[in-house]
Amino acid sequence: MASLLQPDRVLYLVHGEKKIRSPLSTLYFCRYCSELRSLECVSHEVDSHYCPSCLENMPSAEAKLKKNRCANCFDCPCCMHTLSTRATNIPAPLPDDPSKTAMKKAYYLACGFCRWTSRDVGMADKSVASGGWQEPDNPHTQRINKLIEYYQQLAQREKLERDRKKLARRRPYMPLAFSQHTIHVVEKYGLGTRLQRQRPGAPITSLAGLSLKEGEDQKEINIEPAQALDEVEPLPEDCYTRPINLPEVTSLRQRLLQPDFQPAGASQLHPKHKHLLIKRSLRCRKCEHNLSKPEFNPTSIKFKIQLVAVSYIPEVRIMSIPNLRFQKECQVLLTLTNPVENITHVTLVGCEEGDPEDINSTAKVMVPTKELVLAGKDAAAEYDELAEPQDFQDDPDVVAFRKSNKIGFFIKVVPQREEDGDVTVSFKIRHDFRNLAAPIRPSEEGDAPAEAIWLTHHVELSLGPIIA
Amino acid sequence: SDKMSDKQSAQKSAKIASGAVVCVESEIRGDVTIGARTVVHPKARIIAEAGPIVIGEGNLIEEQALIINSYPENITPDSEGVEAKTMTIGINNVFEVGCMSQALKIGDNNVIESKADLGRNMILTSGCIIGACCQVNTCEVIPENTVIFGSGCQRRVQTERPQPQTLHPGPKNVPLWHSE
Repeated sequence: MASLLQPDRVLYLVHGEKKIRSPLSTLYFCRYCSELRSLECVSHEVDSHYCPSCLENMPSAEAKLKKNRCANCFDCPCCMHTLSTRATNIPAPLPDDPSKTAMKKAYYLACGFCRWTSRDVGMADKSVASGGWQEPDNPHTQRINKLIEYYQQLAQREKLERDRKKLARRRPYMPLAFSQHTIHVVEKYGLGTRLQRQRPGAPITSLAGLSLKEGEDQKEINIEPAQALDEVEPLPEDCYTRPINLPEVTSLRQRLLQPDFQPAGASQLHPKHKHLLIKRSLRCRKCEHNLSKPEFNPTSIKFKIQLVAVSYIPEVRIMSIPNLRFQKECQVLLTLTNPVENITHVTLVGCEEGDPEDINSTAKVMVPTKELVLAGKDAAAEYDELAEPQDFQDDPDVVAFRKSNKIGFFIKVVPQREEDGDVTVSFKIRHDFRNLAAPIRPSEEGDAPAEAIWLTHHVELSLGPIIA
Repeated sequence: SDKMSDKQSAQKSAKIASGAVVCVESEIRGDVTIGARTVVHPKARIIAEAGPIVIGEGNLIEEQALIINSYPENITPDSEGVEAKTMTIGINNVFEVGCMSQALKIGDNNVIESKADLGRNMILTSGCIIGACCQVNTCEVIPENTVIFGSGCQRRVQTERPQPQTLHPGPKNVPLWHSE
């Protein structure tokens, strides 16, 4: 029975650039546009960086410098678990009197999951608990850094030229100096973050920034081109005859997680610093309001702004399904839950013939014709025993039960296709929504209630297979 | 110089050496020999069905662990020609909570982690670690110092053997069999 509560059985349609159908629990609601938004029609922005094991926040500039890695925590190169620091006592000669030995603490890294230790790759024990571990140097680092600098300069120069041309052409019209293409060219080589956050309404200031940069950075960076060699190092002679020591060979995953070294042998697998995770905030692309903004503190899971759809839109859930039979009318019990505190009126409408949104349904559905009234969500209701239950005069053919802000109602389903696969029905749900966002015009009558607007959503339900 | 003493209880043929700690809530059935300094926690089960079990010294068998010498699947107890094989377990092994071992031969200093499952045809040598929830049912001798871990039962060889367990003296305030 719990499978009926699975979120992907009831899908809501989102009108965005793409028509996306997804469960209400994954959607957001922009209350300024009064529309549902999915993850694909919002812009994602990085809010903060933090390490998943030590939960330390890191400012973005520092994160970029450290290549998005934590300074204190390491990952096991063998199983990618987090490494912990262990201590042992080793006898060491006293500095004053070399003939006597005293117990000194030595620290090494160990993985609790696969039992890898830093001694396996020959890393010596350190005398400090943290901060002593270094990643090995890569001999190619200098050359790569020089190449990166050169290409960044090249990209910047190309961008300037392209934008100068564009601006010259467009001067009679509104200047839209930064096209999407030039932004991507810059992002390709990782130029400064200043140029990346462009809003379509602010071209002039960004141009000013560019000309300043042009003045500073005039020094030419020259690189030596890579040289092609005729001779390659030959394979070792016993390449085909030497038996493979299987525990020593690294797996592809272990190898590729260290792209700068890609060691073939397990004895060269050094631990890497742990990757940072990000907290992201979501922004509606049409009205630029934030839909989701998490708290800054990595240990806190709350949100400063959380405009999720389940707190604004009534949710339809499947409660029970009888045996579905081909071309026989079956009665399905659904529930509707009201997430807001005022009374909500809901009307259900079946989809018409030729409805462009109705592409997946495989059954005819008859929804209740009367308007359904949902009581408001009252957080104190369970404690208030003296409250009289409101009388809604429900039609028992339509409304099966009513419980605080939830009602159960019947729909009739006639499966139309005999094939394998789930019976899918869809209908539209129309409800009133009171916008509690700050009104643009101050109301003159003092405390006038917010106006209600009517929203319509297309809902699809997956009812399961036909039972012969 | 282990002093073996027979227990006068329902489990007639269990021989427990002196110095071993066996809790009364554990279930020991059949011909089981338990060596000195071995600790058997409550709710552990050692069942010698298809043959005797000999457990060495210094082992730690935690709660809900199951060590069972059972008949292979396609052989019923009554079929002929079935000889009783002895299951041997060496010294200083650790059977963590909830593991199940049917392996006929286990060496020394192995660790079988929680909810691991060992098949009958496996032979553990020494220093092996069978990771948590790993089900291993192959017909092979596991080389020394092998670590089996992960959902795919990946293997690697460890160079560091974990220090031998300083076995804790056993759960307190639990009725124990007396072994003197």
